[in-house]
Amino acid sequence: MAEYAIEMRGMVKIYPGGTVALKGVDFAVREGEIHGLLGENGAGKTTLMEILYGTRSPTEGEIFVRGRRVEIRSPRDAMALGIGMVHQHFTLIPVFTALENVVLGDEPVRSAGLLDVQAARARVEELMDQTGLHVPLDEPVENLSTGERQRIEILKMLYRNADILILDEPTAVLTPLETKELFAFLKRMRGEGKTIVFITHKLREVKAITDRVTVLRKGEVVGTVDTAEVSMEELARMMVGREVLFELEKKPREPEEPKLIVEDLWVRGEGGDYAVKGVSFEVRGGEIFGIAGVEGNGQTELVEAITGLRLPDRGRVLLAGEDVTGARPHHLYARGLGHIPEDRHRRGIILEFTVAENSILGLQRLPPFMNKWGVLQESVVRDWARKVVERFEIDTPGIDAPASALSGGNQQKLIVGREIMKDPKVVVAAQPTRGLDVAATEYIRRTLLRMRDEGRAVLLVSADLDEVLMLSDRVGVMYEGELMGVVRPEEVTLEEIGMMMGGVRLEDIKSGGAKAEAESTGG
Amino acid sequence: MRLDLRRYAKPLAESALSVLIGVAVGTLLVILAGYSPVVFFKALFGGAFRSRNAFLDTLSYMVPLTLTAISFAVAARASVFNIGAEGQMYIGALVANAIGVMALPNGAHQVVAILAAFLAGGLWGWIAGILKAKRQVNEVVSTIMLNWLAFYLVNYVATYHLYDPKAPYKTEYVRETARLPELIPRTSLTLDWVLTILIAFLMFFLVWKTSLGYEIRATGINPTAAEYGGVDPSKVISISMFLSGGAGGLAGAFLVLGRFGFITTTLTNILNWGFDGIAVSLVGRNHPIGILFSALFFALLYNGALEVQVATATGGKTGVPIELVLAVMGIIVIAVAVPGLWDMVQERLLLRRKRVEVRGEAAGTVGGE
Amino acid sequence: MQVAELLRFLLYPTFYAGMLRMMVPITLGAVGEIISERSGVVNIGLEGIMMLGALVSTYVGHFTGSMVLAVVSGLVVGLAAGFLHAGIAVNLAGDQIIDGVGLNLFAVGIGEVLLYLTWGSFATSPQLPPEVRVPSIHGFSPFVVLTLLVAAATWVVVEKTRWGLRLKAVGEDPVAAEAAGIDVFKVRTIATVVGSLLTASAGVFLSLDWLGAYTKNISAGRGFIALALVVFSRWNPLTALLGGLIFGFLFQLSQSIPSGVVPDQILWALPYLVTLLISAGFLAKARPPGAVGRPYKRV
Repeated sequence: MAEYAIEMRGMVKIYPGGTVALKGVDFAVREGEIHGLLGENGAGKTTLMEILYGTRSPTEGEIFVRGRRVEIRSPRDAMALGIGMVHQHFTLIPVFTALENVVLGDEPVRSAGLLDVQAARARVEELMDQTGLHVPLDEPVENLSTGERQRIEILKMLYRNADILILDEPTAVLTPLETKELFAFLKRMRGEGKTIVFITHKLREVKAITDRVTVLRKGEVVGTVDTAEVSMEELARMMVGREVLFELEKKPREPEEPKLIVEDLWVRGEGGDYAVKGVSFEVRGGEIFGIAGVEGNGQTELVEAITGLRLPDRGRVLLAGEDVTGARPHHLYARGLGHIPEDRHRRGIILEFTVAENSILGLQRLPPFMNKWGVLQESVVRDWARKVVERFEIDTPGIDAPASALSGGNQQKLIVGREIMKDPKVVVAAQPTRGLDVAATEYIRRTLLRMRDEGRAVLLVSADLDEVLMLSDRVGVMYEGELMGVVRPEEVTLEEIGMMMGGVRLEDIKSGGAKAEAESTGG
Repeated sequence: MRLDLRRYAKPLAESALSVLIGVAVGTLLVILAGYSPVVFFKALFGGAFRSRNAFLDTLSYMVPLTLTAISFAVAARASVFNIGAEGQMYIGALVANAIGVMALPNGAHQVVAILAAFLAGGLWGWIAGILKAKRQVNEVVSTIMLNWLAFYLVNYVATYHLYDPKAPYKTEYVRETARLPELIPRTSLTLDWVLTILIAFLMFFLVWKTSLGYEIRATGINPTAAEYGGVDPSKVISISMFLSGGAGGLAGAFLVLGRFGFITTTLTNILNWGFDGIAVSLVGRNHPIGILFSALFFALLYNGALEVQVATATGGKTGVPIELVLAVMGIIVIAVAVPGLWDMVQERLLLRRKRVEVRGEAAGTVGGE
Repeated sequence: MQVAELLRFLLYPTFYAGMLRMMVPITLGAVGEIISERSGVVNIGLEGIMMLGALVSTYVGHFTGSMVLAVVSGLVVGLAAGFLHAGIAVNLAGDQIIDGVGLNLFAVGIGEVLLYLTWGSFATSPQLPPEVRVPSIHGFSPFVVLTLLVAAATWVVVEKTRWGLRLKAVGEDPVAAEAAGIDVFKVRTIATVVGSLLTASAGVFLSLDWLGAYTKNISAGRGFIALALVVFSRWNPLTALLGGLIFGFLFQLSQSIPSGVVPDQILWALPYLVTLLISAGFLAKARPPGAVGRPYKRV
């Protein structure tokens, strides 16, 4: 048997827009190891693995599987070679049941192509028993939790007898407890002879689970090392290319009066069920209030209800003392709300609009940008755009360039800059650093802290637990639409936060009763 | 905001290419039907220039073409696919006709008739807009149904109420006080030509220079981002469909108050301009200035096709009917739908040049993508 | 008593035969479009494809005198239109709406040109000889049976087979389908072509069965009514069949009420008004396939 399960040589990927994602990457994974693929956002990790899985075609390069040169043109080819992949954004059909999702593409059939549902169920149930990964098979996937969805994705791979498993940032959607379970499962799989590629940007995870690790930076391999022989600090340096100083200076500050008050808010999600169930909290001036929790536990709906994008069923929202429940966004902006939305391409920016046009999104009907006849004041808009670009050091060919010409980091700076230039009393920031590189992330985080120091109230919603704990003065943990508790980061352990993310209430943790129970169910 | 010529070069090339494909297929059809391509071409492109009157007539055809195209374009900017300009035009024509037969002083008469037609067409368009915004009704289905309803409504009113007792196949002539003055005496070029060009510039101003236009474009490109930006997408959709319908209504009003003075009870003298507008707008890239040029081109084609029908009807053969233009327009629209048409052609040219180079060097490697 | 007199036609079998005739083209078109849209491809060109199917089958039937050739040629047009739309909408990721509108314009224009050049009339072709027309079986058009079978078979394929599961997967989420090893382009192309083929057969029905000729505007908006029927049916072929019967009943009703009671125009307008109202009333809650109308591109 060949030494390497996978070998990729000289991989180059140039996207149609001209972006060079991979600059000649060599990558090799030994049979039966857990191999970490570490790198910042945009380093090319996902692109490299998508080429291996056949969802992207390489511009140049050769792939060898168990020593044999192969062409992988589609996931079908990859599956035939025993390669399976769990994407960071799950590739499940939301309206299909778990069973349908697992068997899709390799369905057991009776004659004439008729689906053999019994056979499918039997096979999948057997697989669930073998692996210990259990999911409700007849429920549409859209009704399942992210943890369950990930299990379906893993079952999908194993159903096709994959023995090379690629997992792209699998812990981003898991609670600490679920992460522990996943790691135990992966080690068991390694014991059964599977080869695993584990994509991540978290150093702790690399140390916890991998045998060897390859570090990518800006489309190039920095090095491949035995995990046991490097320190976290060394890995960090390899990944970022400089010393990482993640110690942001956070001055102690006496908070002022509450500027955003949420009282017993009930909000329905897309499906019509309640996604937010009676959430209450307040954010004071000069304070960052963080909301932690696994994604999909109602954070999106909560933010949308506060920012006027979704009508709450019950409860109140008070902005600077005024009841603004159910008010539309433009009304809220006029009363001092700034909103950095969760998905910048879906909400925050219009890619085809110019930088100048994007710099007034939400302000287009306010003086001085519009005169009383409804005509946009071009010179005012241009001056404003120039100011945003200058103050927030946005790297752009000019204010007439389309926003699509900017990098992700600069697009986010444009959004953040626009919202801050509004001089808001309350800032709602949802996943503000998602997908950004370290430099842009640092910039945005510093800006959020500056806003706090200026006496504004900041509501920070983030799935990145480190980020929430680092920036917030107080943290609320959300689980299935409810706040499990509100804590100060310096007064709480990671385990306690993890339990709250998994659905244990703070008062239960404090009373100690539930603690033992939670641990006994843990992996 | 600032003019960048390179930004317009590619869409221009693509439109030209689409037109070329359409005309080529049209020519092929004519040849297949056994006609001389020379006669066809001379008539098609010379027809509009055969006389001073023919040329002025061509210019006046720009009016309905431009307005129905604007009707399509305004909605398209909000990402609404309005194929109801046809029905909106019928409604505008009817209202203008009904008001035109009343007794009103010259000057005021035209203004009232035009405004009423704009309003009526606008309301007709607004129905589809509100159905889409509030009930998620696909606008393609609703506007087509509204076209049929408009047809039968106008047909009904013309047959039973507005008919000319002396010639019941058509409506009563509108009064002289309601007619639009001729720009050049005894030609079909009337004041509406000037008004139409003004309206095209008005659309430009509205869409690119006002807050409403900003919101229309934002909604069209990314409705969720527009919503975040404080825009109410359903309001913007209804407003743009109202303006869109208004432009369609004006097309009908100008046909009645300008060129014809009446409509036939089965609407034969005003049919199809609304559908033509879709092609005009697409070739003009849904941009009012592009639309003016595209409308001029299609007006030339239309007038040329009239000449084709005469020129090909020789030696006992039947002339190629003017509906050929509709078929050619169809091909053009299909070609417009092909994305990156120009890129494809360029790539082919590039590839051929590369191949020649490679052959010249005897040995060479061709890179990836 | 007056009303009873007016509605006497409800007692005669001819009314129901007419209703079934009305049902056939819109249902065939709707079922075809359901297949296409379930894969994520919208085809606004149903109207044009019906017209072209009717036009070509009439033309071939007129000049060859062969029913088989006429039917086949009509279907070939459907295939060609399907491949054209699939080429633009699926393989080139072009605008799904625009090329459909173009096809409709083309069909109207070319129909008029051919009518006039071939038969010297802007209104209608001569009646086809009986041997070219599709014969009725016991007074029923074979197309009625075909429509029932097609709707039922489509339901079975979509809901019960491997192919249906993949079709739905591609229409709901092409990225996920591709990751599961399904060839998105192939599935979408096949679905588009099959949909177009069924729509063209509706055109063949109009010319060779119902009217026995090609007339101006022969489809009279039926392609668009079929589109409305697709949404009405919530993308379910059996519901489409039911909807086709309801629409057929209403259309036949509007034609059966004796002249002179209400102005003809109101009766003629009724089907379109009903379609509009049904669209507005029933469609709001329907949930279309997740990726319908959105082109899929690989990078």
